[in-house]
Amino acid sequence: MTENTPYIAISSIRKGYRLGAEAIPIFSDLDLSIPRGDFVAVMGPSGSGKSTLLNMLAGIDGPDAGTLRIGTSRLDQMGESARSSWRAHNMGIVFQFYNLLPMLTAAENVELPLLLKPLSRKDRRNRVEKVLDLVGLAGREKQYPAMMSGGEQQRVGIARAIVSDPGLLLCDEPTGDLDRKSADEVLGMLRFLNQEMEKTIVMVTHDPQAALYANRTLHLDKGNFHEEKRAA
Amino acid sequence: MSTFIKQACVMIHANIFSLRRRLAISVSMALSISLVVCVLAGFLAMAKGFEVALTGAGSPMVAVILGGGTNQEAGSDIPADAIRTLYAMTDDIGVSRESTGSLISSREIVVPVDVKQFVDGTTRTLALRGMDADGPSIREGITLSQGRFFTSGAREIVVGDRLAAEFGLGVGDTVRLGAVDWTVTGHFSAHGSAFESEIWADLDAVRAAFERQGQIQSLRLRLTSSASLKVLQDKLATITAIPLVAVSEADLYAAQSGRTANLIRLFGWPVALLMAVGATAGALNTMMSSVSDRTVEIATVRALGFGRLSAFIGTWVEAVILASAGAVLGIIASWLIFNGWQASTVGVNNARMAFQLAVTPSVMLTAGLLGLAIGIIGGALPAIAATRLPLTAALRARG
Ligand SMILES: Nc1ncnc2c1ncn2[C@@H]1O[C@H](COP(=O)(O)OP(=O)(O)O)[C@@H](O)[C@H]1O
Ligand SMILES: [Mg+2]
Repeated sequence: MTENTPYIAISSIRKGYRLGAEAIPIFSDLDLSIPRGDFVAVMGPSGSGKSTLLNMLAGIDGPDAGTLRIGTSRLDQMGESARSSWRAHNMGIVFQFYNLLPMLTAAENVELPLLLKPLSRKDRRNRVEKVLDLVGLAGREKQYPAMMSGGEQQRVGIARAIVSDPGLLLCDEPTGDLDRKSADEVLGMLRFLNQEMEKTIVMVTHDPQAALYANRTLHLDKGNFHEEKRAA
Repeated sequence: MSTFIKQACVMIHANIFSLRRRLAISVSMALSISLVVCVLAGFLAMAKGFEVALTGAGSPMVAVILGGGTNQEAGSDIPADAIRTLYAMTDDIGVSRESTGSLISSREIVVPVDVKQFVDGTTRTLALRGMDADGPSIREGITLSQGRFFTSGAREIVVGDRLAAEFGLGVGDTVRLGAVDWTVTGHFSAHGSAFESEIWADLDAVRAAFERQGQIQSLRLRLTSSASLKVLQDKLATITAIPLVAVSEADLYAAQSGRTANLIRLFGWPVALLMAVGATAGALNTMMSSVSDRTVEIATVRALGFGRLSAFIGTWVEAVILASAGAVLGIIASWLIFNGWQASTVGVNNARMAFQLAVTPSVMLTAGLLGLAIGIIGGALPAIAATRLPLTAALRARG
């Protein structure tokens, strides 16, 4: 891979859903490339396909046609179980509604991705402690999600996304359910992860202020991107 | 520990700890399984109790000679000639002898008699057995619990403990059996075996009262050892033109109990299996709703990279755990309800036979396994459904 090969390369992707007999096209010919270490905000109207794009980047969903490469992996050519193991080792995902398992403690939630790796219990505990500390939740290991505020739960969600140290972080409206203050904390954390820990981040958001934390913003509309020109 | 086992453990944990969100339906699944287990255990306990009662009655040390081409007491007939020939033999025929040299034996007939039940006044058919004086002592495990045995030639009867209680036959009472009155002189215990369902009296008194003079249905002989049955059988083959068979008392009752016990099982299994089909449908429904209840959680861990198999295992194990709980509950309930329960049926000699239901370990195991099977089968399809959750739809589901 040469210096100017993009980290994420999407080309000519077609993707649609099927609702009974009706086909709902989302993308007909989508191209996108994102260099390593970038922090991209994706904006666009509801239903424009932002989550669909993110799910494809996460290997949760596959394109109908076209190529999708992340690093050296051709996700479009992978089957379900290959994608499943790719997910385990290459990306972290942050959900709008945190998606923490309510019956697990904060530490146990964060530990989930580590169970997919050959790590000892001690190594796992050390890593969990480290990332909880990083997101400002040291000492809250034993708490259950129900005992935490939305902002705190989302920080657990971020800890879970980065605990196995993936290069790519995907966030689907990570602040969509948070108040301004909590949202700013979470966004600050993402910027830190991008700038200090060199994570490549793709973040879907509705919030123009959230988008300002990213290096650039892509507008998704009618199945294609328009890059927003920002004042310097 | 492999990562797969770790995934499976977390999923099982998540399933178990989310159970209270669907408590009602989970409990109803377990209860319906326990009902099936309980019903099957009831039937099996009945069959088992019947077998126990009859096998307890038979001794390998006692030979029963039957004639007339049957291997049951009912319908058997032994000509008096044959008995005389046998009694006249002085060499070793495998049978114990008194100090006087005579065979330890009892000639017997069984007559069905109608007796009014103490509690509700309904009439039941019981077995009245006429026997020689050696009759009670030839058998194993017979003890007199009250009064005395009948005397020779008298219209006296001794009654099994079980019957005595059920029919209110106290020592000193008189009962009409057939056309004449009989006096109860004692109660005997046979450790709950089938004999306790019989009424015993002197052979000649019974033959006289029921006009069966000269008739002998069976001849019981005490063997010198259980192996000497063969000697007796060989001997019998030489003495008469009329075919006589000698079987051990143990085999005689085992064969008879086998038939009835199998009949009970033959009735019980379809009933239990039919209910099991219903319970399986219930389990299927419960586990489907478990999967839909956990859709977001399953999709979340799958998005994190958990394998399909972990979603399968979590759901399946939940079903098996609920089924196990139901099975254990059903076993405990069946033990509490049925074990030692008095039951009766038409048994040997077409007379009523009382016995106790026996919830034995093998009964518990069989019934429990059926309960488990319900969970294993009913949980399999939903577990497969859990592996096929469309992730994108599932992740959108919780808006
Ligand atoms: N699993 C699915 N099945 C059917 N239609 C879907 C599915 N996921 C998304 N869609 C449809 O695709 C379109 C884009 O959805 P999505 O990517 O979630 O949009 P956004 O995140 O930009 O709001 C919407 O019209 C949505 O209804
Ligand atoms: Mg969306």
